[in-house]
Amino acid sequence: MPALSQNARWLAIYLPRLATDRLKRSGRAPGDDRPLAIYAKQANAYQLTGVDKRASELGLHLAMSLADARAIQPKLEAVEAEPEEDARALDAIAAWCERFTPIVVIDPPEGLFLDITGCAHLFGGEDALRDMIVARLYAQGFGARAAVAPSPGAAWAFARYVRKPNADLEALAALPVEALRLDPQAAALLRRLGMKTIGQLKDAPRSAFTARAGERAMLRLDQAYGRAREALTPRRPPPPVFALRRFLEPIFTTDAILHVMQDLCADVVEKLDIRGAGARRLALVLFGVDGRDRVISVGVSRPEREVKALIRLFREKLNVVAENIDAEFGIEAARLDVVHLAPIAEAARELVVSEEGCATPEQISGIADILSVRLGAKRVLRPQVHELHAPERASGWRSALSETKDAQALKPPADGVQRRPIRLFSPAQPIEALATVPDGPPIRFRWRRVLREVARAEGPERIGGDWTEGDATRDYYRIEDREGRRYWLYREGLYGEADTPRWYVHGLFA
Amino acid sequence: MSPRPALPHLVSGSTLETGFAAQAGRMAKAALHEIGPAGPGAEAAAMGFALALTASWNPPAIFWAGEEAAFSEEGAPYPVGLAQYGIDLSRLIVIRAKKREETLWAAEQGLAAPGAVVLCALGARGKALDLKASRRLLLFAERNRSRCLLLQPEAGPSAAWTRWRIASAESDGIDHELGAPAFRAELARSRAGPSGQTFLLDWNAHARALAERALAGDLSAATRDGSFEAVRARAGR
Repeated sequence: MPALSQNARWLAIYLPRLATDRLKRSGRAPGDDRPLAIYAKQANAYQLTGVDKRASELGLHLAMSLADARAIQPKLEAVEAEPEEDARALDAIAAWCERFTPIVVIDPPEGLFLDITGCAHLFGGEDALRDMIVARLYAQGFGARAAVAPSPGAAWAFARYVRKPNADLEALAALPVEALRLDPQAAALLRRLGMKTIGQLKDAPRSAFTARAGERAMLRLDQAYGRAREALTPRRPPPPVFALRRFLEPIFTTDAILHVMQDLCADVVEKLDIRGAGARRLALVLFGVDGRDRVISVGVSRPEREVKALIRLFREKLNVVAENIDAEFGIEAARLDVVHLAPIAEAARELVVSEEGCATPEQISGIADILSVRLGAKRVLRPQVHELHAPERASGWRSALSETKDAQALKPPADGVQRRPIRLFSPAQPIEALATVPDGPPIRFRWRRVLREVARAEGPERIGGDWTEGDATRDYYRIEDREGRRYWLYREGLYGEADTPRWYVHGLFA
Repeated sequence: MSPRPALPHLVSGSTLETGFAAQAGRMAKAALHEIGPAGPGAEAAAMGFALALTASWNPPAIFWAGEEAAFSEEGAPYPVGLAQYGIDLSRLIVIRAKKREETLWAAEQGLAAPGAVVLCALGARGKALDLKASRRLLLFAERNRSRCLLLQPEAGPSAAWTRWRIASAESDGIDHELGAPAFRAELARSRAGPSGQTFLLDWNAHARALAERALAGDLSAATRDGSFEAVRARAGR
């Protein structure tokens, strides 16, 4: 048997009346005390797929035909099933549950699994957490039952088949085989074989039995007892590292959030420390009392693992988004996720010894991070140089947050000649130019309504256009006017190709 | 090249020195300097001068915080050309701010890095920086021993230590070649020493040094085509 995590804790939620509860919440169900049932066409007949508490008390039950139900209860309000709406409601509940743990698994049609390993103490223990979830769901109009167990399978069984809230794995033995999440045929087969309880199945000789009852029942058995791993896919990929806090009273202000951030960051940093990693991307999820969550993301240009630095980043971001958080009813829980982490090379960190009074690379990227957080990553840029001929594509900019390597060390040319301008216009600006020789440099040109007399000209430097972009060939000139101002001009198209050559200012030299 | 040591000018009497090297030495210490174009169309020269000073100081980081309007009017920084100019691209961070407040805020953040140079470039639209805002930049720079070069088209009341008016100067190249970048730099104001001189400077990108051109060349060039007068006239003096 594969060794499973010994201290895993799973909370299963069962919403037996999801469809009718949803309908009542949406206001589309009758307000009076008439019984409510949901029906769907199954095997060429209309069958009940959901009954509310009242209908259930009046003797209606699932899988009963609609005709029979109507016969028993003429006043029955019957609504056709909307499985997609039910799935949406279940997803919304799952999203709401993420305030208790980031690992929430949807178990359709009416169940959820929450991995609460290491989370329960934040809510006063497992019992308090389970009771709170059930009570809060009830307050929102959803009848729910919940149970905690070391495996999802056991929690599933307890939530559906056990009345008392505290159960351990031994309690499984007394439960019917249906509690193993089997399809009806498999369960019926087991019953025909005399296996009515999980305990009987567990004690049966495995080898002979497996062939007849199928692998699946045995797998479910092992999963329930935590002897076999069960691969569950969370609603959202869980962050590798996270920290969670729930507040006794809802909080409203940025200051209060920042106060909580101290704790959250400290938790996260401790976990990062153990992994020898730093955060590259973080998300602060604020869970509103209104059921909505707000996500505030922050990127860092190099792995960060300092509480102070992290708080500073979030302070900047919160200052920007504070107006938009709109915590009208307050925030009741907060989770800090490290969405993306990267190892921190400890040795390299210590070796960086800067000149006295000189900013370290860490300090500088820290500043770049703060700038990016406040102004947006597209506005804080580092240069990039590409091996491309076309001037517009020979270099570019990348976010100061991106991991790409720094621009390679380009040195000034030994002859000191400035072949490329320090500023570039994109797109190039058209000018009127007059050239004495048709394929020579202009002798004067008008740009921005000012006539400029050319004193010196160097060129042409022919730069072929990009075939794929449909660019024309360009002849570039470096020009100095009578006042010493220097321009990078080009004539578009080869001489003779166009009737009137077009001229542009593409950049300015110092 | 490490930043030049601050000149103890009150002790050594170096205030009497009026050469560009002495002025630049004082600039290396003080924290906020204003660099403006001597006239319309000289913005590229002013930026070139600021970049030359920056490159000569070889700072650990260069923050170029500009208003978006300034980037579109005067052209965006061009990495290939900047590298040829002597700027260490691995230390350059460009901030394209939407508004003036963002530009100033970004400049202040950049100044928090000890030894860094912040180019704070304001667009033609909008008034010149007021005394309070420029004082803030000075304080940030002094506190962290970083430097701010404030570029704005119009001069305002300013806490800057020096104010420079920059125009392009005619090439020193032979025949029709464009030589090294050249500036006519007027020290319009200085809190640390004498002011009022004009320097004719050539930028050696390879050596990362601004060198004063021989005075004779200055005078002859200025008297020959009258460009010197034209520059002064545009500067409004």
